[in-house]
Amino acid sequence: MGRVDEVFEILLHLEKKKREGVSAKDIASMLETDRSNISRYLNILHKEGKLEKIDGRPVLYKSINNDTNRVSRGGNSIVDSNNSLDKMVGATQSLAMPIQKAKAAIMYPPKGLHTLLLGETGVGKSMFAELMYQFAIESNIVRKNAPFIRFNCADYVDNPNLLTAQIFGVKKGAYTGADRDRDGLLTKADSGFIFLDEIHRLPPQGQEMLFTYIDNGFFRPLGETEKLIHVDVRIIAATTENPNSHLLKTFTRRIPMIITLPPIRDRSLSERYFLIETFIKEESHRLGKSIYINKNSIISYLLYDCPNNIGQLKSDIQLACAKAFLRYKSENGDYLIINQGDLPNHVRKGILSINDYRNEVDELLNTTYDIFKFNQHEEPPLLLNVDDNRSEDFYTAIEEKLESLKGSGIDEKDINEIINIDIESHFEKYIGSIYRRFDRTGISNVVNDNILQVAEEILLLAQKQLGKEFDEKIYFGLSFHLERSIERIKKGEKIYNPKLNSIRINYEEEFLFAMKIAKILDNKFHIETPVDEIGYLAMFFTTDSNKKFREEKPKVGVIVVMHGRSTASSMVEVANSLIGIEHAVALDMPLSMNPKIMYELTKDKVQQIDKGKGVVMLVDMGSLTTFGDMIWEETGIEVRTLEKVSTPMVLQVLRKVVMGYGLDEIIESLNKKDLYKDELPKKKIRKNIIVTACFTGDGASKKLKSVVETSLVDENIEIMAINIIDEEKLENRICRLSKEYNIIAIIATVNMDIGYIPFIPAIEVFKGYGINKLKKIIDEENMYMKVAESLKEHLTNLDGEEITRDIKYLIYSIENELEIEIISDAKIGIVLHISFLIDNLLAGVIPRKFEDLEIYRNLYEKEMNIIKESISFMEKKYKVSLGEDELAYILKLFLLNQNTV
Amino acid sequence: MVNIMLVCSAGMSTSLLVSKMNKVAKEKGMNVNVFAVAEADAKNIMDKIDIVLLGPQVRYLLPKMKELMEPKGIPVDVVDTINYGTMNGEKVLEQALSMAKN
Repeated sequence: MGRVDEVFEILLHLEKKKREGVSAKDIASMLETDRSNISRYLNILHKEGKLEKIDGRPVLYKSINNDTNRVSRGGNSIVDSNNSLDKMVGATQSLAMPIQKAKAAIMYPPKGLHTLLLGETGVGKSMFAELMYQFAIESNIVRKNAPFIRFNCADYVDNPNLLTAQIFGVKKGAYTGADRDRDGLLTKADSGFIFLDEIHRLPPQGQEMLFTYIDNGFFRPLGETEKLIHVDVRIIAATTENPNSHLLKTFTRRIPMIITLPPIRDRSLSERYFLIETFIKEESHRLGKSIYINKNSIISYLLYDCPNNIGQLKSDIQLACAKAFLRYKSENGDYLIINQGDLPNHVRKGILSINDYRNEVDELLNTTYDIFKFNQHEEPPLLLNVDDNRSEDFYTAIEEKLESLKGSGIDEKDINEIINIDIESHFEKYIGSIYRRFDRTGISNVVNDNILQVAEEILLLAQKQLGKEFDEKIYFGLSFHLERSIERIKKGEKIYNPKLNSIRINYEEEFLFAMKIAKILDNKFHIETPVDEIGYLAMFFTTDSNKKFREEKPKVGVIVVMHGRSTASSMVEVANSLIGIEHAVALDMPLSMNPKIMYELTKDKVQQIDKGKGVVMLVDMGSLTTFGDMIWEETGIEVRTLEKVSTPMVLQVLRKVVMGYGLDEIIESLNKKDLYKDELPKKKIRKNIIVTACFTGDGASKKLKSVVETSLVDENIEIMAINIIDEEKLENRICRLSKEYNIIAIIATVNMDIGYIPFIPAIEVFKGYGINKLKKIIDEENMYMKVAESLKEHLTNLDGEEITRDIKYLIYSIENELEIEIISDAKIGIVLHISFLIDNLLAGVIPRKFEDLEIYRNLYEKEMNIIKESISFMEKKYKVSLGEDELAYILKLFLLNQNTV
Repeated sequence: MVNIMLVCSAGMSTSLLVSKMNKVAKEKGMNVNVFAVAEADAKNIMDKIDIVLLGPQVRYLLPKMKELMEPKGIPVDVVDTINYGTMNGEKVLEQALSMAKN
């Protein structure tokens, strides 16, 4: 921690002149280094309790211990701040008094004072005793190799003789089993320390002997009548007993120094944080690996109820580390990360108290950090994020964040998730920070008048059209943002919005409005606002000054309980993997299982997953339908049961949950339409038809119909002969028909290729090979149908049939445009690719980058454009936008799957 | 442990199929590990594979993959289209395992 110390030294130095406090800038100019780094170190020192932070502009820092340090230094030159005791977490905070007392006990002339340590289980009494011993060595009070003997009086509680003998030694024959003379621990501890833990377990006889030693400096071993033993031992006794208890009074009367160690609940969050840090680092050291931990887990550790204090905190951390390590090993992961799932249940609950401690936690953890990396060699923990105060604009912040996450070896999927989750809170902070930085005149100094005016107009318009209130904060934020974004667009720098799709979906109205605004901007500043930027603009209008900023709320729990060995878990697995969040949980009820046991299991699970928002329980039938109400009654957790569960139902519930809906809203929305979907009349299945067409009067279409009918035996397909007046009309007619029927192909006497439905010239049919073509088309159609059927179950955001049909059209039109023919099998692959692509985009997943996109685009510019144009109808219909990477992948699938025969 | 690598174009469509296949294998108590890679990554993962399956949309990789893998005794084939299209984990797993037997 050399650098931090250096900063501290300089601060102490500067402080002599600047009594009001020292700023980061002062120190930075001394060290000729970057101010932001200094700020970071100062923050660390502040967290360690060495500095006092005086809010203002600039923020000033003052050392806290300056005076006391000097006194103790002056008073006794042996003691320096690097001693073992002062290194303890909380040495300047809750442990300040205990440490002062401990030092006094050690230093007290001539031989120090015997000490009694009081405190609950796990507060660190043994550790404290050991550090007192270290301190005595460091202060040259005892010699370097002085003994430190520890003994737990509870170990021999069944055998008081043996216990006493252990401490004081025994003469042969003192009691049955004492077969020889033996030295006691007290003798072994001569000229050092003995630590007697759980001293209240010492039997009266032993107490007497101990007090004799305390008062006179000698004792007699058990059974010894003559010989006195003189030793020079400092006793540190410890107990969890209540100091007011009768038992303890005998001790408190005789032992001069009494030190009480505070329980963890009385210690500050920052102390607790440093304890957590210490323990994780210890594990990191043990495993020889850096340990990553997400913020929520840290928060849980900070806030959970920890009755057994530091000892428990430590073992709870070790447990999570072990779990994470196991997963890292078994999954051959790239990094060892602790997430909520690794935490013991009682720890996980810690995060529920976040609302009571939000400010403290925010201050401590600086909320933009998502993942903390602890490494044995690095202190303080490496925070994997960017400091938002330093980022001049929004984009840089996101890019930096992306980079820093990438650099930390986290894989892309996780990165996207993190960025996705974070971008909204980041946005809110961004606006907040600008508001803090400027006032009205301030902002007009940094932002062009022009832009200020436009921002004002925009917000007025937004107020009118969106019916929301926007305050000055948004005004400043938007002005500042526009200044940056326009500059950026003009320079041709790329703007990247990882959450574009989700903004579109969740804030449709705002997005549409932002598109209008973009047009205004385009005209005014002669730029072309990219769609990613429109996404950002939309976010400005999503805020409503009357509303508090949304916080990440705990979600409604989802549990699926079903009969059968794995029915529930497979349903949940599909739902979770499609929504992309491990939120729903499953309980399988093998048929052999007793419902009572099942009930208990279910109750436990419900209690586990409830985050105070209630739980939706999806069940299939039978006794399971009654569980919800029983659990509700018994535990008070609001449980709503949905019966006759199906995968789409789980999906729908899960989607609502993820979007932050409350229990009632979820149930209501399901009741309204989709819950009883199966009981409603099923959507009409479209009939398959082949259209034969000719001009009115020449009768060819009927002829065609009969030819086709005789050569095709497929009862699922109807041939429909129609007459056409002109081509334009045909197109309209096909369009109308396609709403009611599934048109497999069109056969006509003239070229009537409408572009998205396979067309066969009549002449080919009459000649025979057209029929083969038709057969192939029908085969493909059957494949499409099967895929559509299966996609219905597998897609989250889309209707399987609908999208399959659209992609089928798409494939046909691209084949036409590119003048190629695609292998039938590959078409199915393409259907899956595109449908899942769109489904994923709708779910906010960021698709993969295309390797060497630049080169590919240059090579196939025309083809890329064809794909882009052909697919635009789907972009509109499904409200997604496909980037160049996605288009390139699709094009590649077409180009490489041509039928060359 | 039999390792089966499933290759598709950008990792869009195979993940569900993979999880289904792994599930079937688990239910049947088979020691099988199925994983999916995108085309671009396939060439980087050449170790510890016993069977390679290609999605029908990347069937164009077949000759190249065969050339690479078959000398090592690793069978390569394209997944049956309908089984792929309907995400039939069981059938695809069967196909993979029968390739290994041949």
